[in-house]
This record gives sequence, C-alpha cells and structure tokens, in this order.
Amino acid sequence: MALLGQTDLWAGIDVGEHLFLFSPMIVLVCTMLAVVACPIILGRGPRSIATVVWLGLGITLFMTFRVAGAVADGGVSGLSTQPGGMLIADNLSVGFQFLLLAFLAGVMLMWWMGSSATERNAPEFFILLLGSALGMVLMVSTTNLLMIVMAIELASLPSYAIVGFEKRNRVAAEASLKYMIFGAVCAAIMLYGASLLYGLVGSLDMAVIASYTIDNLSLGPNRVLLAVGLLCFLVGIAFKVSAVPFHFWCPDAFEGARIEVTTWLSVVSKGAGLLLLARLVTVFCAGGGADANPALSITFLTPLAWTIGIIAAVTCTVGNFAAYKQRSVKRMLAYSSIAHAGYMMMATAVFIHPSISGSTAGITALLTYVVIYLLMNLGAFGVTAMVVWDTGSDKIEAFTGLMRRSPWLAVPMVACLMSLVGMPPFAGFIGKWWILVALGRLQNTATSSGMFSLSTLGWLLMIVAVVNTFISLYYYLRIVVQMMFRDDGQRTVRTPIVGLAMVNGCAVALFALLIFAQPLKRTAERFTRNMYTASVEQDGKHKTLASAIQRGTP
Amino acid sequence: MEGILTLVIFSPLIGVLVLLLPGVRSDVAIRRTALGCTLLTLAITVMCVVAFYQGPPEGEPSGPYRLTTHMAWIGGGSSAESVDIDIGYRVGVDGISIWLVALTSLLTPLAIWSSFTSVQKRCREYYALLLLLQVALLGVFCATDLLLFYVFFEFTLVPLYLLIGVWGGSERRRAANKFFIYTIAGSVLTFAGIVYLAYFAYSVRGRLSLDFVFLKQLGQSGAIPFEVQWWLFVAFAAGFAIKVPLFPFHTWLPLAHTEAPTAGSVMLAGVLLKLGTYGFCRLSIPMLPDAARHLAPVVAVIAIIGIIYTALAAWVQKDIKKLVAYSSVSHLGFCMLGLFSLKVVGVGGGVLYMINHGLSTGALFLLIGFLYQRYHTRSIDEISGLARRMPWLAFFFVFFTLSSIGLPGLNGFVGEFLVLIGAATSASTNDGIAAGPLGYGYVIPAATGIILSAVYMLWMCQRVLFGPLNEPRDTPDTSAGLTHDLTRSEIGMLVPLAACCVFIGVYPKPLLTTFEVAIRTNILTSTVSIADAQPIRQGEHDAVSLPGSASVQLAAARVFGTGLNDSELLNRSDDAPRSIIQNTVASVGCREGIHGTTCIQGTVASATCRERIHGTACVGHREGVHGTACVERRKRVDGTASSGGVGR
Repeated sequence: MALLGQTDLWAGIDVGEHLFLFSPMIVLVCTMLAVVACPIILGRGPRSIATVVWLGLGITLFMTFRVAGAVADGGVSGLSTQPGGMLIADNLSVGFQFLLLAFLAGVMLMWWMGSSATERNAPEFFILLLGSALGMVLMVSTTNLLMIVMAIELASLPSYAIVGFEKRNRVAAEASLKYMIFGAVCAAIMLYGASLLYGLVGSLDMAVIASYTIDNLSLGPNRVLLAVGLLCFLVGIAFKVSAVPFHFWCPDAFEGARIEVTTWLSVVSKGAGLLLLARLVTVFCAGGGADANPALSITFLTPLAWTIGIIAAVTCTVGNFAAYKQRSVKRMLAYSSIAHAGYMMMATAVFIHPSISGSTAGITALLTYVVIYLLMNLGAFGVTAMVVWDTGSDKIEAFTGLMRRSPWLAVPMVACLMSLVGMPPFAGFIGKWWILVALGRLQNTATSSGMFSLSTLGWLLMIVAVVNTFISLYYYLRIVVQMMFRDDGQRTVRTPIVGLAMVNGCAVALFALLIFAQPLKRTAERFTRNMYTASVEQDGKHKTLASAIQRGTP
Repeated sequence: MEGILTLVIFSPLIGVLVLLLPGVRSDVAIRRTALGCTLLTLAITVMCVVAFYQGPPEGEPSGPYRLTTHMAWIGGGSSAESVDIDIGYRVGVDGISIWLVALTSLLTPLAIWSSFTSVQKRCREYYALLLLLQVALLGVFCATDLLLFYVFFEFTLVPLYLLIGVWGGSERRRAANKFFIYTIAGSVLTFAGIVYLAYFAYSVRGRLSLDFVFLKQLGQSGAIPFEVQWWLFVAFAAGFAIKVPLFPFHTWLPLAHTEAPTAGSVMLAGVLLKLGTYGFCRLSIPMLPDAARHLAPVVAVIAIIGIIYTALAAWVQKDIKKLVAYSSVSHLGFCMLGLFSLKVVGVGGGVLYMINHGLSTGALFLLIGFLYQRYHTRSIDEISGLARRMPWLAFFFVFFTLSSIGLPGLNGFVGEFLVLIGAATSASTNDGIAAGPLGYGYVIPAATGIILSAVYMLWMCQRVLFGPLNEPRDTPDTSAGLTHDLTRSEIGMLVPLAACCVFIGVYPKPLLTTFEVAIRTNILTSTVSIADAQPIRQGEHDAVSLPGSASVQLAAARVFGTGLNDSELLNRSDDAPRSIIQNTVASVGCREGIHGTTCIQGTVASATCRERIHGTACVGHREGVHGTACVERRKRVDGTASSGGVGR
C-alpha cells in the first residue's frame, strides 16, 4: 500500500469536488452497469440496449460540458492536493472526452445501421466498447505509471475481445488472437519498464521521475537504467498507436474485425496513445524544469526527441509503403492509419525542446490533426462500411464504378481520401500544414539556440512528412480510380439514409474546416491551454516539487 | 468594387450548386446551366478589367495589387500562440494576373461550349468538374497569399485528373495517374519550401506571414541568405518546373494531352500550364532574387534544351494532338527564357507569351477536337487535303498555326520578339533593373527553335489540309448534328480567340503597359541609381510637392524591403519645406556593392520624377560622388509619396 500512500489519496481534500471532476468517467461506468442490468429489465433487444447506451453517452456529454467549465483555467491533479495524483482533469482530458464521445456516437451510428438488425450479443458488445472507451479516457487523464498501465490494459483487453466478437468468423478469431498476443507482450515490456523506473526512482509519478532525472544526470549506470526503463515503457504506448515495429497487429485486427470496430480502433485508440505520449513528454519537459537546465536537454531530451522522431518517420514510411499492395480496402485503411499515426507522432517529437516545451504548438497541431483525422476516417470507413454491408466484400473491386452506382457515396469518399492525402481544399491539408509548421518551428528555434541536432531532426521530419504525402497518394488514388474510372456494371449500393448523411456530413465538415481553420485551431488551443504539469499551482494547493521528491525518493 | 474578385473566383460555384439540384435533369439543361454560369463569370471578369483600368478611386492609395480583399484565415487576432501568424484570404490582381484571369474566363465557356456535341456521358459531373477547375484556376491567379495560392494550385489537380480519367481516350487511366503523380511529386516539395519560407520570415521579421507583398520585401531586402534562397528556389522550382513543364519533366504532358477530352486539353494547355510559369514569375523571381539571378543561366539552358528537343520531338509525331502538345512544351520554353532574362522587356514578353499560347494553342486543340469528332482519328497519315472539304476549318487551322509560330501581325510574334529582345539585352541596365545574366549566346539557339516550330507546324498543316483529299472510310461522321465543315457554333467558338490574336498582334500596348507597371512593382527589383538610370532628368523636384521627407524615406525603405530597422534614416527634419534637397538621405541597406550601406549626413538628394514607374520611390546613392541620393516617385500621385510606396 506504499504506492497508494504516497499519493495521499484522501488527505484533506474535498471529495465531492473531485468526484465531480471525474463524473464523466463515473457515468461511463454506470452506463456499463446499466447495460449489464438492461437485459433483465428490457430484454436483449439490440436497439433497446443501444438506446440505454445513447442515454448514457448523453449524460456523459452533459457532465463533460460541466467539467469543461470547471477546469478551463487550469488542471487538477485528481483526488489529491499534491502533484502526483492518480488522475488528472484538465483541458486536454476534457477535450479528448469530447472527441471520444463524438466518435463513439459515429461508431454507434454505424453499428445501428449495419449490425443492429442481426446482433445477438448487444449487451456484451456495448460493455466491451464502453470499457475500451473508458480505458482511453483514462489514458489521457493520468501521468502515473501504474494508472497508465492500467488504462492501457483497460483499453486493450476489451479491444481484443471486440475484434474477435464474431466467434464463428475464423479471420476475426485469428485477428483477435494475434492482437492479444501482441498486446500481452507489449504490456509485459511496459510493465517491466515501469517497474525499473519505480525501482530506480521510488515513485510512480512522471513528474517525480523527471526531477530525479535532472538531479542525477551525472549518475552513469543509473542513467542507462533510466533510459532502458523509459524505452520499455514507451513500447506500451507504441503498441497502442501502432508505431513501427509494434504495428503488426494492426492490419490483421482491422481486417478481421467488424467495420465499426475497425473504425473505432483506427482513430481514438491512436489518438489516446498519442495524447498520452504528448502528456508524458510535456510533464517531463515542463515539470522537470527543462527550461532551467540545458544540460538535461542535451543529454536526455535530444535523444528522446530523436527516438520519437525516428519512430515517427519509420512508422509513416512503412505504413505508406505497405498500403501499396493491399487488395482489401479495410487493410489498406489500416496501413493508412499507421502512416497517419506516424505523422501525428512527428508533432509529438516537436515539443521536446526547452524553449518550445512551454508553448502549445506541437500539441495543438496534434490535437487539430486528431480532430481532422477523426472526420476523414469516419467518412472513409463509413463509405467502406456501406459498400461492405451491401456487397459483402471489402475488396477494392467492390468499389468499381461507385460513381455511377452511388454518387453520394463516391463523392464523399473522394473527399475523405484526398483529405487523407493532404490535398486542398480539404482539412487534411490544414492538419499537415500545422504539423509542418510545428516542425519548422522546431527547426528554427533549435537553430537559433544552437541545438543543431534538433534542427536536423526538424528538417528530416519535414522532408519525410512531405515525401510521404506523395507516396501515400498512389494507393489512395487506386480507390479513386476504381470508383471513378472503371465500371463493370454492378448494381447500385443500397444505403441507409443516415449513413449517407453521416459520410456526406464528414465531407462537408472537412471542407468547412479548411475555411474555418482558425476557429479549429483556437478550439484546439483552448483545450491544450493550462495543461496539467506537476509544477502548476492550483488555487493555493501548490506543493513544491522538491518535497514531492523528498517523499518519493527512498 | 469591394469583393468583386471573390465574386469572380467563386461565381462558377453557383453553376455547380445549380447542377446539383435534382430539377436540372436533361442534358440540355445541364449544358445551358454550365455555359450560362461561365458567361456570367466572363461578364464579371470584364467588369473587373474595366475597374482595373480605371485605376483606384479618388483618395485611395494604389498598392501593388488592386481590387484587393483581405479576410483573416489562419492567425490574426489574439491567440495563445506566441507566434504572430498572419495568413489570410488575400486576393488582388495586378497588371499580369488580371489578363490571366481574363484568359481563364474566356477559355472556360469556350471549352464548355465545345463539349456540347462531344460529351454525351455523365454530363452533370463533367460540367461540374469543369466549373470547379475554373474556380481553382481563377483562385490561383487572384491569390496574393502564398498558402491560398497553394491551396488553389493543388486543387486544380483533382478536377482535371477526373476529367482526363473519366472522359479521356483509350489510355486515359494511365495518363490521368501519370499527370496526377508527376505534378504532385513536385508540388509537395513546393509545399515544404512554403512552410520553410514562412518560418524563415518569422525568424527574421517576427511575423509568420505569407503575404506576397511582405515576402517580396523580405526577399529583396537581402534578409534571406543566398544558400537559403537557393534551396527555396529549388523547392519551388520542383513544383513549377513540372507544371510548366520544363525539359526533362515534360513527359507527362503529351500523354495527358492526347488522352484528355477536348475541353480538358484546352484548359490544360490554355491555362493550367501557365500556373508553372506564373509561379516562377510571381514567387521565385521576386521573392528569391539572388537565387533567381544566379540560377537564371541554368534555367535558361534547360529551357533552350527543351525548346529544341521538344521541337524535334514534335516534328516526328504522327498524332496531331501530340504534335501540338510537344509544341506547347517548346513554346513554354520561350516563356521561361523571357522570364529569366530578368528584364522588364523579357518578363513582359514571357507573360504575353503565356496569354498568346493560351489563345492559339487553346484554339488549336479546339480545332483538333472538331476534326477528331468527324474523322475519329488524329493521325497525320490517315487524313489529308481537308481544305477541300472543310474550308473554314482550314482557314482557322492555318490562322492559329501562324499565330502559334509567330507571324508578324499576330499575337505570337509580339511575345517571341519581346522574349528574344529581353534575353539578348539582359545584361543592359537601361530599364533601371540590375543586369540579368543572359545574353546573345542564349538567343541564337532559342531562335533556332522558332524556325523549327515553323517547320513542324507548317508541315503538319500541309499534310493535313492540303494535297489530295484522303479520308478514312465512313467519314466524315456527321451523326451528332455536325456538318462537313465547321458548324456555326464551332466558328463562333473560334472567332473570339481569333479576334484576340489579331488585337494583341496589332495593338499589344494596353497589355504591355499594365505588364510593365506590374513587373516593376511586383516582380523585379528596381535599382535605379544615378549611374544606372538613363532617363533621369535633373531639377524636377520643385514640381513635386512633398509634405515631408520622412514619408519618402519610409517609402524608399519599404520599396527596398529593408524595413526601418535595417536602414538608417538620418537627419530627418520634417518641417523643412524643401525637404528633398535639404534633408533626405536615406541609407538603403539593400545589397552591398550596388548601393553601399552607409549614410552620409546631409548630402543633397536630387529628386526626379519619371512618369512610367508606377508608384515606386527609390533611393540610392553612389559612393564617390559624395553620396548623392536620388529620390524618384510617380508624378501623378499627388502629395504623399508614401502612397506611391508598397503599402498594402
């Protein structure tokens, strides 16, 4: 219980206030419980259960709005007056909750259209779905190693099950197994890393680990141990965002799973992983006082930036090249999502720099990209889903002549694919623009402060991002060619009207976000402002980091 | 006139929206909607040209761009960011872009009209895409913000890609993919360059802006080191050279042209290729002047190789359309040569060449389309002697061929002549622009290209139009309501183009005047100093009433893009009435070696006015002659010299 003891779980805090801050999560849990109870009262009808879930999501949304108002001016380290609480409620976590709820609604809509008629195990499906959603919310709301491990597991375990949800489908079962084995190994490595860190520092809080790092820069052997611990810990996150070389589960899981599940995994699970990474890096730089300690940035942060940067570059290149040969559109989009995780990781590499860490350029770019990526993928997967439901095939041939068969599917598909490439006039362009601007900023600031290694990294990532945009064009174009230029006389796709509205809405939104790029950026800035860092003072509840270290260090 | 350019750019969208209405069902209605909409755009464009010609309203300063609109897009206002980002929806035209806008507005209705008989399948999408293409093209020419420019620049790809891929010939898919992949390969590098330039501007000036005016000032102030300029030039050139296309990046073009539907070819040759040359002219030359000067010989050599190589390639083509496509590449080489002479004459010639090429090659592609509809072949071997059967077609074909190869009296000649003059006199400085790097050595091989172009074009005319009549079996096909010779509406499409050709050939002055003003303010650096400037007349300063010298200095500093922090403005006494003589010496820290950067206190400035230099105030001084400074400004701007500056 020493672990919990350190966090001063209940000492001198207003429990009610803190419970309120985490009420969205509590409502999510209650919704899960309601779904369990629902079959007893309402029966196992899929639509009635879905209604309960809709209701729960509505309440969650309402609570999230309330919380957003409460934390607008600064983050709260939850259930504790001191830095190093288990949970965090701040703008970023609230922002992610909004995103997640919006996306969950989209996925629910897809489920409603595609699977609700034949669903036999609706309660189980929703428990798993909501469980992984809760895990993802927790991932973005913590900087505590234990909590992170738990959140990642909570997000992953239901995902394994939900991928193999169609028991009789061999592909799905195989995908699920592969996903689980991979996930288990990565989780083990991550736990090992966490235990190393705890053994070394004696604390589970990232801020404390960061301060320890600064104080012990000269400790030779411990530095290696620290680096190994951090790297191992990063593996777990890399698995979640499907960064190369931890991406092998991704295409199989995406292909095997139902399309609404694929959609679900493609965006938020990566978004959560990336925001978690961003949060850790921010805490490491800001909480650790990197600004005050240039030696830290040279010996420690620069290698960290390079590690993340190289993984990002490789991820995005591998994802794009692997997508070339795919015949299955779902699989192709899986590789595309790997590539996009790479782009987003680049933005994460940016703010590991002393004079940048204080600014929000990188994380704003990241959040903006996640929002845009969510729309693009919801649109692309939505169209794919409707084709798959109608033709029963996710091969690229199922798309042949779609422009004639169903223009209202083909046009938004083209819009989403072009947006994924990053072509104007769609918002994907703006997303890429902000990431490149952030990289340019890294390059520029690093040059002017004489950190040429980081400057090179900025250059390198910029070139990689740009070249990858070009590489990715080809496979997205293949779908366009199939839809627009070929026609083998297949019949019209029967499409639910809600689905049409959804995908066309996505396309229109993508166009609108290009025009309203600034409001989008403002919104993203609003949600990245006052991010929780351990050294932030909260209405008089400030506790110096030094004392935290005193308590933390054995 | 506020917002009229925005109206021009987006008016084709009205057509797209109408086409989406379920009520517009029949093909006839769709065609009429599309044509009507483009005619509306044309009408608004004409209003724009008139407004442009009238000059700015009373009391309004004439900036480098006219009819401007500015709305915040990215950045602006209060932001949590510490970076001052200022990227906006900025549109405006100058003497160059207004004519390219006019060209686009003229060619699009013709392209749509020409599709009435030739396009029968999927009309709705077809016309919607043509209209979208027009929006993108107009947007490129009107944008005065680099990011906006890029957005439109890239967006041109998608509609044309679909136009080629869906309505093209037998190899259309390959052609469309090649076109798309080639062009985007270059333009992503351009994008990287844009981002880098933005950040560079930020690091130098503390403002992340992509405003053309701002960037031109930045480039010409010498704030961008040469190596950076060099790399940026290469990055920009990657996108633009493929678009032009410059040898050896031209291979996508003949294929795309051959497979594209007629309207696609017209838009591609007529307007789309100009995006590349326009990019060089609008971005590379003014914003990266040192690199442009340094690399001009390289570009010129590549252009000349392209001129001759593709002329020879055109000579051996059997397919008329391919032949004209190769001739396009060859002709655009001339355009590049003119632009990189870095002289007012040469750049003016290059810009005129863009317009000429759009008119004559656009018309040739229309004619080839008419021919193909009747004979279902474009092979020179299969048809001959058509002048007997189709006198009208023969007339126009010969007419536009002559225009294309530069017969005096038609438009092509003027452009070619100016380009060659510009390249030949590149080293001279009597237009007040620093010496360019080209010379006669470049003109002679380029002139060979003119001869070659006459050879292959006339040879093609002779084979196809004259000699014994030879037609493929079962042709001419008059099933689609065509007649043997051109129909009235087909003649109607060609007449406006022919009229423009004759007009420009006989009286190019209205265009050239506006070009010169635009080139001097927006493209080239004016480096008039006493030693260099020829037509400076002494002692006219009394005619100019200046309220104070500070504004002159300010304007001067801004023209040279130095910004006040770079230039030292000394000895200001604003209350002195005879300000210029007594107290103006602005030290303009432009490039070393040309003007020097030190300021000699209290030296006499001689003010002169030249009428033709549009709103430029220029201060330079020469060492040795005890620091004489020369201030010149436009006469017509009464009073405030700063209004003749570059302020927005």
